[in-house]
Amino acid sequence: MIPDAPTLLLLGLLGGLLALDATSVGQFMLSRPLIAAGLAGMIAGNMEGGIVVGVLMEAIHLAVLPVGAARYPEAGPASVAAAGAFAGAPESSQVALLASVVFMLAWGWLGGRSVEWMRRLNARIAVPAEGPVDPATVEALHLRAIGVDFARGVAMTLAGLLVLGTLLETLGWIPFREQWTRPALALSAAAALASSLRLFGRRRLPLFAAGAAAGAVLLGLR
Amino acid sequence: MSELPRPVRRAMLLRSLAVQGSWNYQTLIGTGLAFVLAPALRHLYADDPARLRASVARHAELFNAHPYLAVLAAAALARLEADGVPPETVARFKNAIRGSLGSLGDRLVWLMWRPACALLMVALLLAGAGWWIAVLAFLVSYNALHLWMRAWGLRAGWRDGLLVARALREAPFERLGERAGDAGAVLAGFAAVLALGWGGERGWAYAAVGAAALVAGIALGPRIRWVAAVALTAILVAGVVLHNNP
Repeated sequence: MIPDAPTLLLLGLLGGLLALDATSVGQFMLSRPLIAAGLAGMIAGNMEGGIVVGVLMEAIHLAVLPVGAARYPEAGPASVAAAGAFAGAPESSQVALLASVVFMLAWGWLGGRSVEWMRRLNARIAVPAEGPVDPATVEALHLRAIGVDFARGVAMTLAGLLVLGTLLETLGWIPFREQWTRPALALSAAAALASSLRLFGRRRLPLFAAGAAAGAVLLGLR
Repeated sequence: MSELPRPVRRAMLLRSLAVQGSWNYQTLIGTGLAFVLAPALRHLYADDPARLRASVARHAELFNAHPYLAVLAAAALARLEADGVPPETVARFKNAIRGSLGSLGDRLVWLMWRPACALLMVALLLAGAGWWIAVLAFLVSYNALHLWMRAWGLRAGWRDGLLVARALREAPFERLGERAGDAGAVLAGFAAVLALGWGGERGWAYAAVGAAALVAGIALGPRIRWVAAVALTAILVAGVVLHNNP
């Protein structure tokens, strides 16, 4: 659902700041999907919804490595857009949850492409001309590039909120078979979490199995 | 060699947080490195504007490093400038360290530390902890290493200059990465099983499908992202199409 104008503004600013946190400024990892979606849900008035969207995306985003010039999806603005739009959906709407997660995956990919576009642009606007250069010039070029990244994050977030909000309002009246959704999301999240073992190395499979056993015990006790 | 004044060091440390602000496909973080170095260069060449401008231009050329270790390079470069090392030697030094600063940081932070801390956050949440607690645990554990690396890099780079490779060898990066990998593997298994529980289903059939999902996740690795995207999209479409066609 499309939030009201003040909420849109706040979510846009949050998306811009989290886009900066991902690469340009800080890298404190406030832009992780679970944090970004939780904050967006809080702003949009449905923190619980934001956390559910965020934890699913966090699981799927775990194995993304932002190494050098590699292409990778961008989580922050996509998470803010998905959680912000999902916040207005009816609490029990599994179709809205599923659509938000699918959208977040697609929007994160698009965000990654926009980062590539910005890096090509930076080669034109943020690299000083050859020859001696004043430090103030370098500082101005650098800060301009940071400004472009912030604007890109705001734009990605606002566009995402409008696109997903419209989609969710349409899906709201489309009949949907709900009973598959939650198990499917849980299985996807579990598989994604398990896939992170590949980062640590398969030789650590016994440690993974020990953790899984501890998880099974906890589930049995509930 | 005297220390860099505290305000200069503080400015370099703060600026290092934005070293990737102008990342581009031509000079990578070259402009960012010059941005971080600028306070030190202004201090060193306060009486020689021509040398200052020439030095800034040299350091704005192609460079890359892991962002948390870029400040190590910046501090070492400041030390070389302060020692009057010839520009050709400085250029060779930059070429020599950029590969190791990238691979060391990538392996420790992106491959081990960050996933392990993120898994801690997810595991805490799925185990029933509040969102604030899970997020706080992640931010504190992750940024403890992050901020230590920046502060250590600034000190070690200035202290060791050309010999900075020694500091890199002596730093506990390898050991930290190993321990983070161990913890991450345990947390991955723990969180994956708790995520299955979130599905709300019971019984042996669901448990078998869940076990198959874990095996598939391990087998697919990072490709799981695309498989999950296709599967969830198919379920979304099927849920709409099949609603009236049971």
